[in-house]
Amino acid sequence: MRLRVLALAAGLALLSPAPLWAQEFSGRFLLETHDGKRVNDESFKGKVRMMAFGYTFCPDVCPTALSTMAAALEKLGSKADQVVPMFVTVDPKRDTQAQLKDYMSAFGPSFVGLTGTQQMTDAAAKAFRVRYEIHPPTSKDSDHYMVDHSAGIFIMDRDGRLVVKMGHLATADEVAERVARVVDGE
Amino acid sequence: MRLDRRTLLISGLALATFPAHAAKVAQGLFVTDPPRPLPEIDIRDNQGQAAGVAAWKGKPALVNLWASWCLPCVAELPALDRLKPIIEPEGLRVVALCLDRSGAVGAVNTYARLGIKNLDVHVDHHRAAGEAFGAAVLPTTLLLDAQAREVARYVGPAAWDGPESLALLRALIAGKRLDGAMGPPLVKPTANP
Repeated sequence: MRLRVLALAAGLALLSPAPLWAQEFSGRFLLETHDGKRVNDESFKGKVRMMAFGYTFCPDVCPTALSTMAAALEKLGSKADQVVPMFVTVDPKRDTQAQLKDYMSAFGPSFVGLTGTQQMTDAAAKAFRVRYEIHPPTSKDSDHYMVDHSAGIFIMDRDGRLVVKMGHLATADEVAERVARVVDGE
Repeated sequence: MRLDRRTLLISGLALATFPAHAAKVAQGLFVTDPPRPLPEIDIRDNQGQAAGVAAWKGKPALVNLWASWCLPCVAELPALDRLKPIIEPEGLRVVALCLDRSGAVGAVNTYARLGIKNLDVHVDHHRAAGEAFGAAVLPTTLLLDAQAREVARYVGPAAWDGPESLALLRALIAGKRLDGAMGPPLVKPTANP
């Protein structure tokens, strides 16, 4: 049975032209910046992009992806001005423009916070194949907190094409090194 | 080779079939066995003077990693502030290490806003603490022995001045072996602090 499962997996791996997670990824979005500007993926044409999804009201533990992005930008030195770091909220009800603006300022002046209606943010999450679920805290299950596993840092080229999605444990050095290669056109 | 390939195939299958959002970050107390020496990183006090790992040696320490953008971190700072005058005379150093990009400014502003009286300002000067100390989420609190080795860590916010915490920290001071069941209860912030 196990061998058959392995054989099936091997068969799937051979048949798939692209990694499974990369399918259906369009990378398109229409959102509003923390300054109230309506933008889409083409608004950043010519810039390399780093993008993370999340929400600012983390109830019990907060992931450090934006800190990693900020540290990576610093490591990029003069190349950093060719890179736009973006944060898309999946909790637009609470993450208003004002809330996002305040939050982004903790990470650096080039960070762009993106929000919108629930429909707009849902569409963006879908376009990046980001799945999320916001669970209200329950006293029964206070030991665990659901983290969006498909979070992580998306790196896209100057045309908005996905180059790689770095896992949530990627270090700033790893992110900077990868982004630098995209900036250099590799 | 064969094992590697098999592992690869199994993980490929797992990626394809498991829901992408179902990962969980375990919270609570985790014993670090064997104790892990902390790497030396550039930590400064409010005056810009070195106040890092070397300065923590000599007695056990509680080192809380926080940032002003992290709501649960900010929510537990007052409990740490109350803890410090209780536990420091008993022989435990209490350090709140701010990971803010703005450095001391962020820490000082947050302390002022919360009315923090006892905690000193410590800043992670090159924002290296998260990676160097292996903290993928905040807040994370490290419990160190007198050689500044991590003997346990607590992931998530806790009532640091409560009885369970005091019992745990007194065991740390006494050099007793800690276990995961000694962790204080997690605290859920109920409002934006």
